[in-house]
Formats: sequence, structure tokens, C-alpha cells
Amino acid sequence: MPKNLQYIIDELRNLRNPEEFLAARDRILEELTRVDSDFEKLNFKYERSNKEKNILSSLLTRTSADLKKVSDNLKIRAEELSTILITIPAYVYFKDVNLNYILVNQSYAELTGLPVDKITGRSLLEIFPHYKSTGYLETEQKVISLGKENYNIEEEIEFNGQTRWVNTNLAPIRNPAGHIIGLIGISWDITERKHYESELKRAKELAEAGTMAKNEFIASISHEFRTPMNGILGLSEILKNTPLDESQADLLKGIVSSAENLLVLVNDLLDFSAIEAGKLELDFHPFILDRVLEDVFQMLNMKAREKFLDFSVLISEDVPKHLIGDSQRLRQIIINLAGNAVKFTEKGGIEIHIHLLKSTVDRIMLRFEVIDTGIGIPQEAKESLFKVFSRVKQNKSKLIVGSGLSICKKLTDLLSGEIGVESEKGKGSTFWFTLPFDLTGIKIQPKEKTGEAEFKLYTGKRVLVAEDNLINQKIVSFQLKRIGFEVDLVDNGQLALEKYDENCYDIVILDIQMPVMDGYEVAKAIRRKEAITRNHIPVIALTANAMKGDKELYLAAGMDGYVSKPFTPETLLSAIQQAEIIASRSRI
Amino acid sequence: MQVKTFSSDSVKGFMQAWDKNSSDGFKPNAAIVFSSVDIDLNGISTFIKKKGVRLFGSSSCGEFLYNSSGKVITEGGLVCSMLQLEPGSYDLNMFSGKGIDSFSLGRTAGEWVVKTFKKPAIFVVASGLNTDGEQLVRGIQDVAGDDVTMFGGLAGDDAHFNETYVFSESALDPQGAIIMVLDLSVYEINGISTSGWVSIGADKIITRAEGNIVYTIDNQPALDVYKMYLNVRDEDLPEIGVEYPLLIRKQDESFVLRAVLNVDREKKALIFAGTVPNGAVVTFSSSPGFEIIESTRKEVNEFYKYNPNTDLLILFSCMARHNALGPTISEEIDEVWEKWSKPLIGFFTYGEIGNNYKASCDFYNQTFTLVSIKQK
Repeated sequence: MPKNLQYIIDELRNLRNPEEFLAARDRILEELTRVDSDFEKLNFKYERSNKEKNILSSLLTRTSADLKKVSDNLKIRAEELSTILITIPAYVYFKDVNLNYILVNQSYAELTGLPVDKITGRSLLEIFPHYKSTGYLETEQKVISLGKENYNIEEEIEFNGQTRWVNTNLAPIRNPAGHIIGLIGISWDITERKHYESELKRAKELAEAGTMAKNEFIASISHEFRTPMNGILGLSEILKNTPLDESQADLLKGIVSSAENLLVLVNDLLDFSAIEAGKLELDFHPFILDRVLEDVFQMLNMKAREKFLDFSVLISEDVPKHLIGDSQRLRQIIINLAGNAVKFTEKGGIEIHIHLLKSTVDRIMLRFEVIDTGIGIPQEAKESLFKVFSRVKQNKSKLIVGSGLSICKKLTDLLSGEIGVESEKGKGSTFWFTLPFDLTGIKIQPKEKTGEAEFKLYTGKRVLVAEDNLINQKIVSFQLKRIGFEVDLVDNGQLALEKYDENCYDIVILDIQMPVMDGYEVAKAIRRKEAITRNHIPVIALTANAMKGDKELYLAAGMDGYVSKPFTPETLLSAIQQAEIIASRSRI
Repeated sequence: MQVKTFSSDSVKGFMQAWDKNSSDGFKPNAAIVFSSVDIDLNGISTFIKKKGVRLFGSSSCGEFLYNSSGKVITEGGLVCSMLQLEPGSYDLNMFSGKGIDSFSLGRTAGEWVVKTFKKPAIFVVASGLNTDGEQLVRGIQDVAGDDVTMFGGLAGDDAHFNETYVFSESALDPQGAIIMVLDLSVYEINGISTSGWVSIGADKIITRAEGNIVYTIDNQPALDVYKMYLNVRDEDLPEIGVEYPLLIRKQDESFVLRAVLNVDREKKALIFAGTVPNGAVVTFSSSPGFEIIESTRKEVNEFYKYNPNTDLLILFSCMARHNALGPTISEEIDEVWEKWSKPLIGFFTYGEIGNNYKASCDFYNQTFTLVSIKQK
């Protein structure tokens, strides 16, 4: 019975006389009001519960149907995932943060030779007792601690007495709140691939060694060519200066021209192997474009005229004359292209066009075109044209062979330019290339051609020449005498030093490779002696060829300049002049 | 500020009570009236206008008043708070929402608010069963700033769901907003919002919605889903919709409740008191029972600790709470009186607006939104 009702009953029972009744009535009424309010609330709660019961039970029924559907879907999904896991052709495993296995797939279990339930909860070393760690467990630990994936971990492992290579990708696993709860590892057996890779590597090494040997062979044989070439050209020069009748002079001309052609070929080969070996040195300096083109014109116009071909050079007016670039290499490219054009054109002529493609304040891009009316190039040959030693088949009997174009291609690449050809068979070709140049603010004074007068500049001066090759001795001494020098010749470095001590010379020219004592040693010894006399005599190296890095060797030995063999009287003279300037600076 | 409060069940009774309360020379300059739609609201406006007083009025779904003369929780009556405010520290205005969306209505109101005071506190009640309370709040915030102080709710109509009203001393609007703005340099205004509703059932996705109208849930017509899951009859809607709102999960694991205020039977759509975004993850929700009273008590006690002094308390309590708690609703309102023993006026709403402590203002359903006004 509710407390309030008990209270009212008690009140009524305790009524003993009518005087107490009025006071009791108020208390009873108050209590009855409270009962009424409580009853109202209870009644509401009851009705409310009934109403809510219907709604909530409906909601719960529907929700449980929903949940059933969700759980069914999850089951299907789980089965699909498990099928994927089992059948995936890779070793898959999940580990917890302590690096114990949570789950592995069938392939992995087969790898271990254990059933799946014997793997879970255990560590790698418990599963593979003979596993020799190469930092793999540390890598796994890092994936957990840094929360970052680690891909393509390659490792050689041993199991069942077999050595296998595996490649593994690791990724951290996070719970929905983003906390790392473990990692997943997927490994593939890459033993076969590794095998192929090492074979491939060996084959590549062999191929590279072969190429290197070939390049070295070409370089050294070309190098060997240069000494006799130097002889032929030098002696021809001497011969030219002796009295010859017309037919003898003609024959000599033929010898010189053939030797020059051969020299071009040898130089190409040398350049080619230098480029291949990354040893070609570029020389960027200010030059005048017109001078380069004049050289080209003089060199090729004669040949063109012999074939009754027109030869002309057209420079657009907006092309600046004063540029900074490697003029030597530019000349080489143009001569190569234009030389080919002359060679393969029988009728018509050759034109060289130069225009400005782009320009900024300090840099320009020029396009050079060599246009001929020659035999043209078939479409299918164009692509391979710039490859090494390409041949264009003209007819059954004649093959056109050349290394020149591939050198042009390599040189334009080195100089950040492009090269190409447009051609129609039988109608002629246009070979073009583009090159960037820096602009110079300074105007270069065009150098006058060295005249006879200048040749006499060194009259009364003494030069010491150390050179072991007799032919070269003759050539050098002839050229030096022509410009007025008094020449002392010796065969080796030792003798050179003795002569140096006995006499007073204005200049010393040293071959690098000599018996007894080489050129470097001589130069060093001279500089040591000069440390006392505080003098600095110009010393020039005579070298078979200048490769990248050689220059540093000469300078380190204390030399002031060098001349590559074979050389023309002009290059020898300019090397002497240059060395005099450097030496005079050293004296200061 | 000075406050006098009274309740009545007719316009006549209202006029008498007003005059009686003014007989001692008390000169109110503003009034707050929450009234049943059964009462002649125009009659109240006309009377107040004659008194030269500004009126902040709203129709209700039940109203209540606690003061030193007693506690009143009624339906079909009215409650009034006569205010004598500092001159220049308050202003009132009413804005029509006809032909414009709730956001634009909010912006228009917001523009007036920022022109009125540098540091304004806003009291806003909006009428109209299709009004999107959330967009109204966003519109005001768009002009007045996210951190503006704002309290209020959506007007009711005794659960008829026909037409709700806001009214001033000179107009009555079934589709508008009434705003009272107070100068925060003169008054201190704080409040809380608490609900207690919990999520029930599996997650569902809102698959087609526009603003506060939801067309499909899990690709099924929204009205069908609602009726099927709650096993309710057509005629129970929209009333039952206020009690069983959708709970919208937010990315930060918080949630917001959105009550159904109207239905479009032809399009099988549900019209909510606030925005329900397309793609939102929702569940049904319900009050877990009478224990929500306990959680309200705790919140009220906590609020009292930080805000022990007040001149007037206004409570915007969701009508769904009244439905769910029935006569026990008094237990959670009693707690307010027991703490402050200062006049408390309020009504059962179709939606609430408020800043919870110092957080920015939001639009709610199912809440107990209490605000305290104190002159500094």
C-alpha cells in the first residue's frame, strides 16, 4: 500500500474526539492532493510507456532486421576477403604491434610448413628458428613506430635448405581511431627475377667493357695515326717551300688534300671516342661569326668550284656578329654538313643560311641550314642518319658511309642544340641545326691574317725544342726557323735540362712523351731552378692530343700553354704568343 | 532593469493583470508575451500599442511562468513579462519571411542588428512550419559574426501544426521573425542548451535532400521509411515527428537532432525544423526515459555555479520534452526556480536557438535552452 494512503488511514484511526477532526481534515486533504499528483504522474508514465513500447518495439524489430542484413553482408564480405587472402599468389601476413602473427594466408603457411593455427600468436624467430636477421625485424619495428609504409624490401632467406629471394611490402594497420594496431606484410618470391637480373647485369658489364675496349682501341689507334699524319703534312709544308715544277706541285697538292681528308676522319674518330668517354672539352669564348663562316667558305668553295657548283653563305641581318660560344665546334659542324653537301651534290649548288630564332638580352638561338641540290635522302634512312656509322644505300654498288653526322648530332646535343634534316629523294636536302649562344657586349677586333712580316718577329731569339721523333723535329724546327727563331734540338728531357743549364733561351718547347725524362718532369725541374733565379721562361707542351683533364696536368707541371699535333704554322705561332703573355704575368 | 510577470487565460484577463501590475507606478517599456494561438493575439497587440510599449510576442505550444506567486505550466493560456529597461539599451523589430528563404531572412535581420548595437545580444523567435531554423541562424551569423550572442526558438501552435505566429505591438506574422536586441555593454547574457536524446537503430543515409526537406532515406521515400520504422499512423504525423527526431552524426563524433515539423504527403517527403544535408549519416532517436530530467538538473546546477545572479530567466523548451515527460516536466523546470528564485518565463517550442556556454550559436531540437539576463 502506498505510504500516503497508509498515512491517511492512520490519521483517521487515530481520531479520538471531534476537536481533532478539523486539523486532521487539512492534513488528509493535503495528502490526498499529493496522492492525486503522484497518481497523475504514474498514470502518465504508464500511458507513455505503452505508447513508447509500440514505437520502440517497431523500431527495434526493424533495426534488428537491418542489423541482420548488415551482418549477412559482412559475412559475405568476410568470406570474399578470406578467399582473396587464401588464393592471392603471394605470402600475406598480419602482425600485432609486438610483431607476433595475427593471421597468415595459405601460401605463407605452406612456406613455413606449419598449419595456420600454429603460426598465430608466435613471432618470426619462433616460426623460422634458423632465420638470420638482416635488419628485417628492425624494419618492421620502424613501420609500427613511424606509421609509414616500407616498400620493396629485398632479402635472401633460407628455408627447407633452399635459398630464396623475397620482395616484401610492409604497411601499418590502423584502427578507426587512427591508432596503429599492427602491420601487414606481402611478400613475393623473386628468386627467378634475381637470377635474370644478375645475368643481365653480367651481360651489361661485358657489353660495357667491350664498348670501352673498342673506344680505347679507336682512341689509341687514331692517336697513333696522328704522328705519321703530322709527318706527312709537316714535310709536305716543307716540300711546298722548295722549288717544284708544275706537275710536282700538283702531285703535292693531291698528297696534302688526301692527308687533310684522312686527318678529318681521324679527328672525327678521336672526337667521337672523346664524346663517348665524356672527355670532350668545350671551349666557350668570344668570337666573330663572320670569321667562322669565312673559314668555312674558303675551305669548301674551292672544292665546290672544282665540281662547278655554286657555293654561298647568307646571314640574316638580325643575326648578331659578336657571340660567345665554342667556335671550333661550330666550325666543325658546319664543315661536316657542308662538306657532305659538296660531296653528294653533282649539279646546282650549296647554300648556307643562318637566321635568328629567339633572342633575349644576353642569349640567342641561331638556326643554321645547309641546303643542297644533291641526291636527297630516302624517308626510311632519315631516322638512322644521325646514328653512329650510318649508311645510306644509294644503289647496289655504292654505299655512302660516314661518321660525320653522328658527331654533329653528339656535338649539337653537347652544346644544347638540335639537329635534323628535311629531304626529298632526288631533289636535295636541307640539313639544319640550332645552337644557343651568349651575347658579348664587347666588340672583338678582327684578327688580321698572320702576314709574312710577323713571321720575322722572333729573329735573334733562341728556342729549345725537346722532341724524340725525327720527323717532328724537322717540322717544328722548320716552322720555328721560318718565324725567325734560332732552334736548339734535343732528343729527350735529360738533354733538354742540360741544354737549359748551358744556354739562355727565350722559350722552351717540350714533347710530353719522351724517353729518359718526359716533358712534365722537365717543366717541373725548370720551374724549381727558376725559384732561385726568380725568372719564368715560357714553356709550351707539344702533345699528340688534348683530352679533358690534360690541360690541368700541363698547368700543374708549370707549363704556360700547349700545341696539339699536327699543327699549322698559325696555331704554333698563336700558342707561342699566348704562352709569352701567361709567362710575363707569372713574372709579375 | 525591473521585471514583473503574470499569466492569464484570456485577453480580458491579460488587460486586467497588466493594469493591476502598473497601478503602483511601475512603467514598463517592453513586454514579452508567449501565448496560445487560441487567444486573440491581435487583441494583445492593440492593447500593448495603446500603452506605448514595445512587444516581443510568439505563439506557443504550452507556456510556463515561475515567480514568487507560484508556478504555472499551461496550454491554451499566456504568460507575460513586463520589462522596464534602460532607455537606449534595447530595440525590437519584426521581419517578414514571405517569399524569401530562411537564410535571407536571417541576413536581413542580422543587418538591422549590427546597425543597432556594436555589441548586440539577440533574442529571436521565428514563425512558419517550413522555416529552416538552422539557415535562419546561419543568415544572422553571416552578417553579425559566428560568435554573436543569440537565443530563441521556433513558435508553436499547441501541436496543431497549422500556423504559428510571431507578433509585435503593431503586427502579426505567420511567416517571419521577431527580434529583440539588447546592448551587451548594459546586460550580461548567458545560457545553456541540453537535450538528453539518444540514438536508436542502425545508421541510415540521407540519399536525397534539399535544405530542410528530405525526400529519400536509403533510397526509399522518407515518409514511408519514417512510418514503417516507428510503426505510426499517417494521422500521427507530423506531431510524433517532434518526439522522434533524426540524429545527424557529425564527423567529430558529435551530433545534432532534427525534428520533423511538417510532411509533404504527395512527395512522400519530411520537412524538418533545420537543414538535413544530402549524404548525412543519421539514426532515429528517442528520449531514453525520465532520466533526462536528471541530466537537465545537473546541467542547470553547473550553469548556476558560473552564473549565480540574474534578473530574468527565459526558457525555450522543446514541446517534445513536454510530450515525453508529461506532468513530470515540472521537475526539470522546478530546478531553475530552486536555484535562482527569480522570474522564469518560457514556452514549449518547435525548435531552439542558443549559445551553449561560450560556444557559438546553433539551432537545436529537443533541448532545454535556458538564458539568463542580468543588468550589469
